[in-house]
Amino acid sequence: MRRSGTLLALLAAMTVGPLSAQTSQPQAPFLQAFLFGDALYSVQEGPAVDGFRLGQMVAHGNATLSERVIFFGELSITARNSGYSLAMERAIIRYEFGDRLKLSAGRYHTPVSYWNTEYHHGLWLQGSVARPEPIKFGSRYVPVHFVGAMAEGNLHQTPVYYAVGVGNGRGDNIAAAGDGGDVNGRRAFVASASLRPRNLFGFRVGGAVYADRISVGGVDFADELITSAHVVWRRGRIDAAAEFINVAHEPVAGGDSESSPAYYVHFGYRLSGSARDFMPYVRFEEMDISAGDVVFAGLVADYSAFIAGVRYDFDRLAALKAEYRSEEVGGGSRAAAFYAQASFAIPVAGGS
Amino acid sequence: MKTRTRTSTRGRLLALTLMGLAFAMAPAPAPAVAQDIAVAIVVHPQTQIDNLSFDELKRIFRGDRQFWDDGRRVTLLVRAPVAEERQLILDRIYEMDEDQFREFWIGKMFRAEVAAGPKLVYSADMARDLVTVIPGAITFVPVSEVSADTRVVRIDGMLPGDPGYPLRGGT
Repeated sequence: MRRSGTLLALLAAMTVGPLSAQTSQPQAPFLQAFLFGDALYSVQEGPAVDGFRLGQMVAHGNATLSERVIFFGELSITARNSGYSLAMERAIIRYEFGDRLKLSAGRYHTPVSYWNTEYHHGLWLQGSVARPEPIKFGSRYVPVHFVGAMAEGNLHQTPVYYAVGVGNGRGDNIAAAGDGGDVNGRRAFVASASLRPRNLFGFRVGGAVYADRISVGGVDFADELITSAHVVWRRGRIDAAAEFINVAHEPVAGGDSESSPAYYVHFGYRLSGSARDFMPYVRFEEMDISAGDVVFAGLVADYSAFIAGVRYDFDRLAALKAEYRSEEVGGGSRAAAFYAQASFAIPVAGGS
Repeated sequence: MKTRTRTSTRGRLLALTLMGLAFAMAPAPAPAVAQDIAVAIVVHPQTQIDNLSFDELKRIFRGDRQFWDDGRRVTLLVRAPVAEERQLILDRIYEMDEDQFREFWIGKMFRAEVAAGPKLVYSADMARDLVTVIPGAITFVPVSEVSADTRVVRIDGMLPGDPGYPLRGGT
């Protein structure tokens, strides 16, 4: 709870006033902040505990320090059985030369997946209750967070957007980033690109490559190569995304590379007329973990799910979501679950 | 852990079907805009731009282009609700309603694509005044509010009074 008090004090310091026109020169330092949060109720078949749960409370801030220097930060408080945990999810300091080149350093959501960089810790922004399983927060399947440096931008007079980065890679716990430094002295590299045609607003196709060496407890396990591809159509009433990810591990000690593919297909459609506050959605997900994968063995299980839900935007910045899941984990029997989530966003604008 | 198998073909077929369905569906109909309104795009007097393609104008107003060719940062000034010229811009440039517009900018800021959303201005006078004092600023005003010292930008080579100008109600 002391950590929660620290976060609340930080949030209070960031709160300045209501949204209003900026009359000062844009080069003057100013801050815009958001608060996101959600509460969840779940009922699940099997041994999982049902009931209410507080989701993540997230504080996000964008600080413009000058015309070209910008800071992005994201803090979260997550409810656990043992209490509340405070985490710095993203912290990025960026210098913008222009649209073609922006250099930054810090902690990111790894640009190895479309969903991972499109949606962050504020669940109000995404259509469904939770993220696809391969890229859920805490996932061991892909490195969700990345600590390092990035170069990104939009290639001149083209619809191509790119990001390339170098960083610490996975930590000793492969679900975590190397926040305390690189655990094996070998940097991870990531590169992503997407095509966003200017005359086809809302359409996007792209992919990413990520390479790293995984070590645990000082022992090198495997060289990791992650590739992904996505196609997205988000325009008007339609919110559609499909992504394929493959994680390949080649044992350092020798042996064949093992691949574990995963995919998801998400489709949401906002209704019209008097029902326009409702957006039903469906999603199919699958993870197929190789039995011979030296990294994932015993840690990551096969997974498949059919998800159907509806989002109800009952207020400008608040939404209710109801979701049914039929999931199969590790080749076991299929189990059903129901989730209800209330999520919100609070924009806060500030000035120097 | 089960023996390795191929990823389900059912999922792949479903993916193709859903994406095809998404592309086949028509976008949401735009809200009605008054027939007789025309909007001029105006920039700071020192911004070296006389003409923008309509696609490029959209990129600027959607935050996909954030710098002018001279390196100055683009500052977007957008009329606050409720104004006819704002509705025209939401319809023609953003292709969004108010809720989608709000979510669009919150999402861009949350993804760290932009540092801040557009600045709100509460009248055409305010828009006109601010665009002349904020370097790199761009905004829109009704044609009737354009003054002699306002730097108007052609869109696809056209001025607001030209036939086929894209930011006119009813076109």
